[in-house]
Amino acid sequence: MAETQKLVIMVTHGPDEPELASIPFIMAGGALASDVEVVMGFQADACLLMKKGVAETVAAAGYTVLGELLPTIQELGGKLLVCSPCCQRRGLTEADLVDGAEIVAAGRFVAEITSATNTLTY
Amino acid sequence: MSTVLTDADVAVLSVAKVVDARGTGCPGPLLEAKKAMSGVAVGDVIELWSSDPQTKADVAAWSGKVGHAFLGSVAAQGYDRVLIRRAK
Repeated sequence: MAETQKLVIMVTHGPDEPELASIPFIMAGGALASDVEVVMGFQADACLLMKKGVAETVAAAGYTVLGELLPTIQELGGKLLVCSPCCQRRGLTEADLVDGAEIVAAGRFVAEITSATNTLTY
Repeated sequence: MSTVLTDADVAVLSVAKVVDARGTGCPGPLLEAKKAMSGVAVGDVIELWSSDPQTKADVAAWSGKVGHAFLGSVAAQGYDRVLIRRAK
């Protein structure tokens, strides 16, 4: 029996870059469908994607609206980690974020990345 | 990588569940297949409908990765019928 594989996906682009903000969610969906554990890390403007109500507004032409993918990613067990200083800079608290999103600092990101099978950065 | 089936091939399969993922783009059809698999028994066949022409190749790769049996696909009117047997 193969060990569970784990993919960490670091996202740095926000609503102003809808295509680069969307692709990480597509990869997360593909990985979760393939029984790969997924941790998504949101840094810089990508933090804004985790703000309540924002994912529903991010729609790059030809891509699924983020607001449709996000619940499925959570339903399949994808973890959503949001960079603490990035949130502070933007005035975001955990209460502003979608349910299930967790604000974390560098140590947690490093722990997730170093225990992953692979990491993707967008 | 994709296996082309005929309507006659599909007719002899006993399909346990039909999943209509037409109109959804990547990774929608794959996620629908994943969800549907958990609702059928090992050995059952699901039939996934997708209007995304990449789905049949994607499902073939996905089946190999997760351990299901990709049976192939048959073209319908503006979409593909993709057949997968739950194998685990």
